[in-house]
Amino acid sequence: MSAAALYERPLRWLARWWESLAEHAGQLGLLVWATFSAAVRFRVSFREFVRQLQIMGMQSLPIVIVTAVLTGIVTSQQGGYQLTSTVPLYVVGSITVTSVVLELGPVLTAVVLVGRVGARITAELGTMVVSEQIDAYRSLGRDPLIILGAPRILAGLVVMPALAGLANLIGTISGMISAQMALDLGYETFLFGARLFWQSWDIFYSFMKAITFGFAIPVIAIHMGFRTRGGAEGVGRTTTDSVMFQLLTIFILDAMFPPLFLQ
Amino acid sequence: MTRPVTADPVIRYRNTHKAFKRPVLSGVDLGIYEGEMFALFGPSGTGKSVLLKTTIGLIVPDRGDVEVAGMSVYHGGRKVLESVREKVGYVFQHSALFDSMNVYRNVEMGLPAERLRRMQTSDVARAIWEALELVNLDPVEVMPILPAELSGGMKKRVGIARAIVGRPRILLWDEPTTGLDPVNTAAVERLIKGLAEELRVTSVLVTHDVEGALWMCGRVAMLEGGHIRFCGTPDEFQTEADPVVRAFVDRAAAEAALDVVEMT
Repeated sequence: MSAAALYERPLRWLARWWESLAEHAGQLGLLVWATFSAAVRFRVSFREFVRQLQIMGMQSLPIVIVTAVLTGIVTSQQGGYQLTSTVPLYVVGSITVTSVVLELGPVLTAVVLVGRVGARITAELGTMVVSEQIDAYRSLGRDPLIILGAPRILAGLVVMPALAGLANLIGTISGMISAQMALDLGYETFLFGARLFWQSWDIFYSFMKAITFGFAIPVIAIHMGFRTRGGAEGVGRTTTDSVMFQLLTIFILDAMFPPLFLQ
Repeated sequence: MTRPVTADPVIRYRNTHKAFKRPVLSGVDLGIYEGEMFALFGPSGTGKSVLLKTTIGLIVPDRGDVEVAGMSVYHGGRKVLESVREKVGYVFQHSALFDSMNVYRNVEMGLPAERLRRMQTSDVARAIWEALELVNLDPVEVMPILPAELSGGMKKRVGIARAIVGRPRILLWDEPTTGLDPVNTAAVERLIKGLAEELRVTSVLVTHDVEGALWMCGRVAMLEGGHIRFCGTPDEFQTEADPVVRAFVDRAAAEAALDVVEMT
C-alpha cells in the first residue's frame, strides 16, 4: 500500500468532519441571526411565543418541582451524613443552598428541559421536515426559522431562568424541611448557615447559567430538527442525536462557568 | 391547448444539474409556456419532484439555472425569489398541511405575507371562502377543522385551496393523485383541469398517472437518466417508438424497456 493510500482514508474522514462542522456552524449562525433580526424588528409571532411559553414553562412545572424537591432533600441529607460530628451542623444550610443555587438548580432544570422540551422540539420540527411542511412554509414565502425557530428560542430565554429560579427556591425550602426532619436542624440554624457563606453574586451566577442553557437547548433542538432526513426513522435518529448534543453542550458550558465567573 | 401560446417560456430550466450522492438531474433543458398544462412523467427516483422543487428554490441545483417569468431564480437574489414564490402555487404530494393550524389558518397562509398584512379581515375570510368553494369544499364545515380530522381527499383539496388562494400565475402539482382511490383521483383530475381553465394558470404536473395526464395536458415530457427523454404532445407521446417511453404508454412494452435501461 502506497503512502498516499495510507493517509487517504483518515484525510477523507477529516475533510468530511470539517465540512460537517462548518455546515453545523453556518446553520446555527443563520438560525441565531434570523432570531435576533426577527426579534429586533418585532417580526416574531406573539401568539406563537405565548404558546411556547405555555408548552415549555407551564407544562414543565410539575417535573421541575418534583426534581427540585428531591434535589433539596438529597443534598441536605447527604450533607448531614458527611458533616455530623465533624463540623457544626449549620454548615448543612450553606452546602445545600450553595449546591442548589450554583449547580443543581440550573443544571438539573436544564436536563429536565432537554428531555421534555428539547426532544419535543426536534421531533416536532423533524416531522415537519419529512412531511414537507417546512418546504410548504418556504413555498409560501415564509421563513420557517422566523416562524418556528424564533418563538421557541425567545421562549427558552424566558422560561429557563424562571424555572431555574423556582427550582432554586423549592430546592432550598425542601432541603431546609428535610434537614429539620432528618437532622433535627432548626430553620433558623439552617438559614444562619446559608447566610454565612452566601454571596449575592451566586444568584446572578445561577441566572447566567440558566439563560445560557435556555438559549442552548432550543437552538440545538431546532437546528437538529431542521436537519432531519429520511422519514420516521430519521426523526427518531435525529431526536436521539439532538438530546445527546444538548446534554453534552450543557455539561461543557457548565464546566466553563466556574473558571470564567467564580475566580 | 396543445401548442405554446407565447414565444418565451414562463418557466425555463437551463442545463439544471443536481446530485444527491448520485446524479439525479444531469443538465435538464426544458421550457414551459404561459397558459399551458404540462405533465412530467418518469420512473420513480428520476428527479421529477426535484426538478419541480428547483422551480421555486426549495432545492438548489448544483449547476444551471431556472427562470420563472423571465426572472433568474438562482442569480436574481432574495427579492426575486420572493417574487417568484408569490407567482407560483405549489401543491405538495402529501398536502403538507400545517398540523397545528385549522383549515382556515392553513389556507390563509397561502396569501402572500405582505398582502395579508394590508388586507381587511373580512377580505381575507372572503378569499379563503372562495378558495375552499373552488375546490368543492364546504367552507362552514371545514374551516374550523384541524388537518388530522380530514380525509385524504379533503386534505388534497385544502392543499390545493392553499396554493390557489393567492391567485398565482403558475401552479406546480407534485403527484396530486398519489394515494387517492379511483373516485377521488378522477375528482382531483377534473378539479385540476377546471382550475387551470377557470384561473387561467400555467400548470405543471409531476405524476405517475399517465392516463389522467394525457387527458388533461397539452404537452408532456419524460425524464429519464437525468435528462428529458421525450417532450411533445399526448398524441406524439402515444405513438413514440422509444421503448422507455412506450413503457409508460403500454404496460406490455415495460419488459423491453427494462432491457434497454439495463443495457445502457
